[in-house]
Amino acid sequence: MTTTPAGPLIVQGDKTVLLEVDHPDADAARRAIAPFAELERAPEHVHTYRLTPLGLWNARAAGHDAEQVVAVLLQYSRYPVPHALLVDVAETMARYGRLQLMDHPTHGLVLHALDRAVLEEVLRSRRTAGLLGTRLDQDDVVVHPSERGRLKQVLLKLGWPAEDLAGYVDGEAHPIDLTTEGWSLRPYQQQAVDGFWHGGSGVVVLPCGAGKTIVGAAAMARSGTTTLILVTNTVSARQWRDELLRRTSLTEDEIGEYSGSRKEVRPVTIATYQVLTTKRKGVYTHLELLDARDWGLVLYDEVHLLPAPIFRMTADLQARRRLGLTATLVREDGREDEVFSLIGPKRFDAPWKEIESQGYIAPADCVEVRLTLPDHDRMAYAMAEPEERYRLAAAAVGKNDVVERLVARHPEDQVLVIGQYLDQLELLADHLDAPLITGQTTVRERQRLFDAFRSGEVTRLVVSKVANFSVDLPEAAVAIQVSGSFGSRQEEAQRLGRIMRPKADGRTAHFYAVVARDTVDQEFAAHRQRFLAEQGYAYRIVDAEDLAKDPASD
Amino acid sequence: MSTYTEHLRALGPEGLARLLDARPDLATPPPGTVRALAARATTRASLERALADLDAATLATLEAVLALTSGDRSAEDGGPTVADLSRALGLEAGSAVAHGTRLGLLWGAGRLRAAPGLADTLGPHPAGLGPALPSEDEPDAPDLSDRAVVLGLLDEAPPGARAVLDALTWGPPVGRAPSEPGPARSAVAWLLRHHLLVRGDLSHVLMPREVALALRDGRTVRVPPEAPSPEAVPVDADAVDAGSVHQALDAVRLVAALLTSWGGNPPPVLRSGALGARELRRLALELETTPEVAALMAEVAGAAGLVVDDEDDPPSFCPTSAVEEWAALPVEERWAALGRAWLDTDRAAWLVGTRDDRGALRGALDPTTRRPWVRRMRRAVLQVLADTAPPGRLSATQIHEVLAWRAPRSAPGLHAVEATLAEAETLGVLSSGTLTGPGRALLSGEPHVAAVALAGLVPEPVDEVLLQADLTGIVPGLPSQALAEVLDLTATVESRGAGLTVRFSAESVRPALDAGWSGQDTLAALAAHTRGTVPQPLEYLILDAARRHGQVRAGAALSYLRAEPAALVGAADDPALRDLGLRQLAPGVLVAQVPAAELVSRLRSRGVPAVLEDEHGVVLREQVPPRRVRVPRARAVATPDPAVTRRHLLRVARDLLSSEPEVTRAAGSAATAGAAEHGEDPSVGTAGPLEALALLREAVADHRTVVLEIAGPNGSTTRRVRPVLVDAGRVRAVDAERESELTIAVHRIVRATFEGDA
Repeated sequence: MTTTPAGPLIVQGDKTVLLEVDHPDADAARRAIAPFAELERAPEHVHTYRLTPLGLWNARAAGHDAEQVVAVLLQYSRYPVPHALLVDVAETMARYGRLQLMDHPTHGLVLHALDRAVLEEVLRSRRTAGLLGTRLDQDDVVVHPSERGRLKQVLLKLGWPAEDLAGYVDGEAHPIDLTTEGWSLRPYQQQAVDGFWHGGSGVVVLPCGAGKTIVGAAAMARSGTTTLILVTNTVSARQWRDELLRRTSLTEDEIGEYSGSRKEVRPVTIATYQVLTTKRKGVYTHLELLDARDWGLVLYDEVHLLPAPIFRMTADLQARRRLGLTATLVREDGREDEVFSLIGPKRFDAPWKEIESQGYIAPADCVEVRLTLPDHDRMAYAMAEPEERYRLAAAAVGKNDVVERLVARHPEDQVLVIGQYLDQLELLADHLDAPLITGQTTVRERQRLFDAFRSGEVTRLVVSKVANFSVDLPEAAVAIQVSGSFGSRQEEAQRLGRIMRPKADGRTAHFYAVVARDTVDQEFAAHRQRFLAEQGYAYRIVDAEDLAKDPASD
Repeated sequence: MSTYTEHLRALGPEGLARLLDARPDLATPPPGTVRALAARATTRASLERALADLDAATLATLEAVLALTSGDRSAEDGGPTVADLSRALGLEAGSAVAHGTRLGLLWGAGRLRAAPGLADTLGPHPAGLGPALPSEDEPDAPDLSDRAVVLGLLDEAPPGARAVLDALTWGPPVGRAPSEPGPARSAVAWLLRHHLLVRGDLSHVLMPREVALALRDGRTVRVPPEAPSPEAVPVDADAVDAGSVHQALDAVRLVAALLTSWGGNPPPVLRSGALGARELRRLALELETTPEVAALMAEVAGAAGLVVDDEDDPPSFCPTSAVEEWAALPVEERWAALGRAWLDTDRAAWLVGTRDDRGALRGALDPTTRRPWVRRMRRAVLQVLADTAPPGRLSATQIHEVLAWRAPRSAPGLHAVEATLAEAETLGVLSSGTLTGPGRALLSGEPHVAAVALAGLVPEPVDEVLLQADLTGIVPGLPSQALAEVLDLTATVESRGAGLTVRFSAESVRPALDAGWSGQDTLAALAAHTRGTVPQPLEYLILDAARRHGQVRAGAALSYLRAEPAALVGAADDPALRDLGLRQLAPGVLVAQVPAAELVSRLRSRGVPAVLEDEHGVVLREQVPPRRVRVPRARAVATPDPAVTRRHLLRVARDLLSSEPEVTRAAGSAATAGAAEHGEDPSVGTAGPLEALALLREAVADHRTVVLEIAGPNGSTTRRVRPVLVDAGRVRAVDAERESELTIAVHRIVRATFEGDA
């Protein structure tokens, strides 16, 4: 047995794997366990990975077997690995692929069993009722082609994930090339594209500002087919379009926008989730878009926001390649599993800090500024109805002063002030004499203000949650968050992402969260910060009164 | 010709002593004579006891001796020799024969004989063989014990005959004779005719022993009864050691946690004497484990005498005074104590959560889950693992096979073996299905050696926790005692194993603050165990928690004073009021440890014009109402109205009359007519026994005939009788028709009716 006495890993009986980052073998160990272990937390000293059935099955799908997994664990573990865990790994991995989805020459899509008992079990399950057709022989059952996605989902839930050998439709060919003039794919972007293409379909997780759009463009180029891109909103759609024009050989005539205002279907079509989920008289009126062309690739931007109807539509798209892009696979509704089974497993993931250390995203300094409420505010808070409390605490008047002082600390930088409550934001905009963008601002006005911000004409911008996602503001270096949607972890990550594009001069970005002490605001802040803390972003906590003494400066 | 008794006598003192040593039940109480000893040794109970410990080979040898003894049991030379047995069994029978002889189950020199009674104890068909052929004086009958002869006969047999023989050859030798006419029946008939089968009873046929042996080629067993040699799956020794430490320490930790929990809050004992299922689930939740493990820990703690039913009213399971002694031991000794208790207990912990014959759920520590064979079985299971060379993992099925071979007549169920392995694994006696070093020492009865072995395996404790900004901490190994204590007070465990992951939160540091540590103390305690500094967010969290800790306080007081702050200045320090326990909480608010009324009167005596207020702050009236005791109001007594009383009595009388059965009324008025009506109307007659008795007494007095309906084993019968005497619950009567006298118990009389005049 080749147990290194002092390996970097500690394998726990509860299937967590601890990786000591400072260990000389840490990098090798990280690479070795990455295919099958899910990174759960990546703070400064010890990263925590978890062995999940899903992760192990993904590893099987990617061609790793149980022996390799066991060997890796034994090789890098500091202490002997619990025997039960090794047995469990082997047993879990052996469950994958007992059933296969294949193309039958005469019957079309069939579920083929390598293990008859498993097929019997699956057939008898109430969950598969209606998904499977006639039984051809002892080992094969016809699958309704439209139920391919749902069947895979159900089989995963039953613990017998099927190996999908049926492949993908090629889709309509449409050559797309990357125009790599003056730039090239970063190594991790290339790895992400390779990982995705090799796996067929799946999700790529990259921090905000790490160039997810480019990964999308590269995937399109690799596919060389017509592509349907689904994005969160119109502004984001325009940004995708601009980026594709800049990075690929696509011309304006080849890219269509399918949104509330325009309905163009072109070889590359960018549609918003909103337009797809619009219902008129109980029916989705724009569903035909999905069949409008023989799409070779379907791209989902920000999959962590994928609305439920899109899940259902995606179930019908299983024969097409699907790529999901996101910064955080944390869904506040806990439906990560559905993303995995319908779009595909996670194909690429890197700790934010690692990409930061490579210089591809700006280093960020996160500070939580704690504001002690004056007594009369505390009384008002104490006597408020519970549902009013967060609003009262988050929109505390004292925050205005703190924001002003923070803005004053960064006179040279482009500053974003982000908040949840409109009256608070209006007040702040007044205070700072800065333009305000909210949901009511027209798309045109938003574009104008964002452009002005990008060009440096406007240096301060107060924005509501409309700017949470997919707004590309490369020069923003300071973000001040005054309030948010309760304890949303992914919102926090997205907001930090607004300022993480690498700066021309390599400056550090600053992210401030202004929090009212001893209130639910503080509790929610702790919850919001959890994801970032697990990505290795440590928050410093500073009292509002001590702000002047805080050493943070460039 | 010798007998078993003579054989025993011939053994001599040495030989007899050896026999008594091998079968201790024969020696207690000491038998009076050799004949008595022989009688005792051949009783079914004693034989069963001897057979229970025999392995499959010896049992097969005994059966072979019985099977090969010729029909004429009295013949001295009828028994088989060791060579015969070896041939019949397909293996060297010498040692098995010696073992059987040593136990007094076989005897005889050269030609072996079975002890009397053994044939009955081993059942009617030893080795699956039927009875011997009756010896008939037919000189020309073919020799059916010759295989060639039998096979030759079979050549002429009708179709199907061979199949019938094949089915019976290896036993059981009894078959049901086909009753329907057909080829099978004719085949059986042919076999019977040729004595290849004999008739058992009307519907069964038997295969004679000689024929079976001929067809078996002289063998008594199909497969030689050789000991199974299970192949162990080798397991990495390091993993076994690490696993055993982890499991052993975990078991000690769980028992300690159980004792802490029950010490503070002893769970009630159910009427059955067990721990309730809900209490068990609560315990499992508290220990963060499964109910099965929690039950095992409770059982082990009980077996080690660490918890008992305190037999209070109401009773509860309470840690004993032995806990302190146990807790003071080093951890490895604590484990050894638990391990030994488990090994020696006769409690079947795996039965907890199952249901007994009456469907009642068996709880943990239930007094009825004792099984006397559990101890022996547990050691036997572990011994199989201990005997495996090279050491490795055996499945429950493999172990069960070995046990079934070692003592087929007393082998435990597979389920019990599985449960024992699971328990041993939980306690760290096994790890990865392999006996651990400490477990092996424990099994050989050396708990101290086991403890030392365990101590040798425990890895060097780590005295460092890696604190991280996401408010988690990681101990990369087994935390040292000091570190474990600090973390216990300040953090909650997220993951336990070779390393330890903990999370800090405002709630998790509260125990430290409750224990009197300040925020700085807590930080210093953590900093002492960490490289570098405590991360700033964690520092902030702890200081924040410390700042808020104790911000809101509660206490007890009997009364309070409130006033303009100036009015109470000096009251708390007034020496004359010292005994009131006055304490100022805030300007103008004092609490006192005496009732409010006393407080007011005392203050007034000091010239402070205090008044009482009620719970809403309203001043009470100056006059305190004089004290009164509430008594129940006396109930009014109504004087009866004579008219009402009379009306009431009248109504009662009328009701009585209207409900009285017609027949008694008729009888009472001594009406002689209407006999025909009685016969027609079954509803008339007496209903209760009192009425029946009254009617019968009347009938005696009047010499009248009555019709009695009498309950009997087959329902009720009706008799027409003339009662003569009624006394002591019985009725003597004369049956006029049958001219007989009979006595009837009154309770058997369902109904009595008057017949017409006699």
